[in-house]
Amino acid sequence: MKNFKLYILSGLLFVAACKPEIHTPSLSRGTANFSRFIAVGNSLTAGYSNGGLYLDGQLNSYPSIMAKQMAQVGGGAFNQPLFTSAQANGSGYLTLAGFTKAGSPIIDTVTTDLAIRTEYNAPGFGPVILYTKYTGDIENYGVPGIKLYNITTPQYGNYNGYFERLLPGDGSTTVLNTDYLDFVTAKPFTFFTDWLGNNDALSYATTGGAGDVLTDKTTFAQLYEASLQQLTVGGAKGVVATIPDVTSIPYFNTVTVAAINAQVAALGAKLYINALVSGTTYAPRLATNSDLIILTFPTSMLGTLVSTPYGPLPYGLTPYTPVDNKYVLDANEVALTRDYVQSYNNTIKSQAAARGLAVFDAYTYLNNVQLHGLEVDGISLSSAYITGGLFSLDGVHLTPRGYAIIANEFIKAINTTYSANVPLANVASYQGLKFP
Amino acid sequence: MKKLLLLVFALMPVISFAQGFQVNLEGEKQIGMGHTGTGVLQDGASVFFNPGAVAMLPENYVQGGISPLLFKSTFNPQGTNVQDHTANKIATPFTFYAAWGPKDSFWKLGLGVYTPFGGLTDWGDNWQGKYVLESLNLKAIYIQPTLSIKLADFLSVGGGFVYNRGSVDLTQAIPLTNSSGQDGQAELKGSGKGYGWNAGIYIVTEVGVTIGITHRSEVNTTINNGNAIFTVPSSLQAQFPQPNTFSSSIPLPATTSIGFGFYPNKQWTLAFDANAISWDVYKVLAFNYGSTTAAGLQNTVEQRDYKDAFSLRAGAQYKTNKNLAIRFGGGYATTAVEDGFVSPEAPDANRAFVTGGLGYTFAHHLDLDVSFEYEHVMSRDQTNIQTQLAGTFETNVYIPGISLAYHW
Repeated sequence: MKNFKLYILSGLLFVAACKPEIHTPSLSRGTANFSRFIAVGNSLTAGYSNGGLYLDGQLNSYPSIMAKQMAQVGGGAFNQPLFTSAQANGSGYLTLAGFTKAGSPIIDTVTTDLAIRTEYNAPGFGPVILYTKYTGDIENYGVPGIKLYNITTPQYGNYNGYFERLLPGDGSTTVLNTDYLDFVTAKPFTFFTDWLGNNDALSYATTGGAGDVLTDKTTFAQLYEASLQQLTVGGAKGVVATIPDVTSIPYFNTVTVAAINAQVAALGAKLYINALVSGTTYAPRLATNSDLIILTFPTSMLGTLVSTPYGPLPYGLTPYTPVDNKYVLDANEVALTRDYVQSYNNTIKSQAAARGLAVFDAYTYLNNVQLHGLEVDGISLSSAYITGGLFSLDGVHLTPRGYAIIANEFIKAINTTYSANVPLANVASYQGLKFP
Repeated sequence: MKKLLLLVFALMPVISFAQGFQVNLEGEKQIGMGHTGTGVLQDGASVFFNPGAVAMLPENYVQGGISPLLFKSTFNPQGTNVQDHTANKIATPFTFYAAWGPKDSFWKLGLGVYTPFGGLTDWGDNWQGKYVLESLNLKAIYIQPTLSIKLADFLSVGGGFVYNRGSVDLTQAIPLTNSSGQDGQAELKGSGKGYGWNAGIYIVTEVGVTIGITHRSEVNTTINNGNAIFTVPSSLQAQFPQPNTFSSSIPLPATTSIGFGFYPNKQWTLAFDANAISWDVYKVLAFNYGSTTAAGLQNTVEQRDYKDAFSLRAGAQYKTNKNLAIRFGGGYATTAVEDGFVSPEAPDANRAFVTGGLGYTFAHHLDLDVSFEYEHVMSRDQTNIQTQLAGTFETNVYIPGISLAYHW
């Protein structure tokens, strides 16, 4: 009897070691070479999240996620201009403090352990916040706020604190004479991601068409060609991404005209906005579901009395007191933005094709997510604010999980174009939005 | 006026626990012969294999056995070279049988306690499919009193009533991160019961071939008032009310079998079984909670759409002398799980198995039987329709077994 037990026990120990091994396709870099991979782009590339750039977001930027996967097929070191752990909160960022009884989010701002150096008033531009300088090696060149329009501007570092941070010299006292494109291409590299161009449309859209202008289509095409020329001149290969439809992000889809009208219906009121007629002419009119209210619109302003020539009237609820232009991307502005984004994307796709570069079509991808949601490894994601899991609290930038999904889409595009087999990242191991 | 938001946290506990979960370990002598036993008569395990044959047993039996089962599954997420493995956890399917009747009478009473369905899978909380499943421990214990009657020397029938005591303990991660970066957790834990029956006919033909035909009915097992434990960030806990209960119902499918026994000479016994398992009853899996919320926890209905499965088994026994028997066998079973529905609780696919066994009889009355089964669940590359978990599953199952039978 004893022996049998022993046999069974030793048998079990033996088979415990015999787990099935699945024959997996071998990884390969294909025709690409990742020995120095650089990331060119704006806030999305930098790892901006929850309305700020901070260490935790940087560590989950999509280029850093990609670099980890590329490291398995010969990818080299990938340095990011990280904030130090003492200044881990970088620019500061938004956190979710909880929910009101009605279920609305309560949002706080992190203001400790920042990396803010100073703020100065750039002549002819306005206030610029400057951050603690970063002096180490850089592979992630993501600069929050940068437009394609800015990449050949020599003094751009004087106007963008996130770029100034990477350059030698104090931008508040000296004229910085390095443009972005020259800066990123100064050292040789073998592979790049290029996701520039979002802000050429987004800066206009997020300010309701009031705070900025759309980059001219021809200018965009010329600059895009110049940038790809300079990025590929040394023989580097790369992947570019298209610009998402601005209306596919929660920033424009969370506070809606329909919801506001449902709330004010009890007062017998309807929402009025100051809307684009044509050119630069704006006029008040009733809001429709085609008008997009921005996420940061202070809804508490609605109904507060505003003095007018006709006496005090409730804000947003009469033709004499329409919601300000800066809070609304109205139907005409939406159409205008869409028209520009489509033109930009045609430029991106045709110029990438001409140079044999891979393309991640973020425009199509995020539109699909908005229409159908996204199911990944048992996680239900959507473009919804807070509950969707993809977008961070600012309604524009992504959560680590969202960035991991983007990283995988870039990798898929690389694998297709360069006959590579770069392994995909495990989306489930990256976090969504943090809840208290 | 508040910021206008409607928060709905869609959570679908992806819990499907009847999947390919048939455990075929109902007697060590039979396991040794490829788990055949419908058409041959070996011992008290006939209470399970063919209640109709029990009356033909030449002696009375009391016996028990255990088959520690090690389910080793590997998952390779699509587009990666990662291999996730299940932890080493040993499930313990067991059997107990008694068959008794007066000497030389035409009837016998039987009792069987056995575990025809079950599963023990632990993928851990750090793998790609953690939001689908972390671990599952499922058991169904059937208790079956039986009456078998010999109608003639060549024909006996029998049947039994089945009471099932089922239990489930399942954990999965919830994709809601708290401020320290941890996932939420769901645990569903409960037990329930179901009823069914098991009947069979056993025929001894003139040429000496024995034939058995059996039907074990569907046992619809219902779990009521199980514990539904949800740990989520505290700001969302109200959306996942605690304490909470769940109820669900799983049809454990009917099995129809035909088996043949051949006896070329005194030493050799050859057995063949064919089984049809009516998994097709398993259309949907519904979960209902004691309390639900409009913006969080909601009742769920998931599509399953299983198809009927079939298995073919064969085995042989060689008696070197009166006391020692050597056994071997094997078989093949088709999967009940259609493409697109494979998931990690039982990563099912077609499977093949081989078995071997030894039996020794001490002092004419006590049988000691040992068996070993190796089962290979074929590799299957799948994207689950619901969860979109995509990759290849492959599974090996190792099952030693031992039993003691006293007969007089």
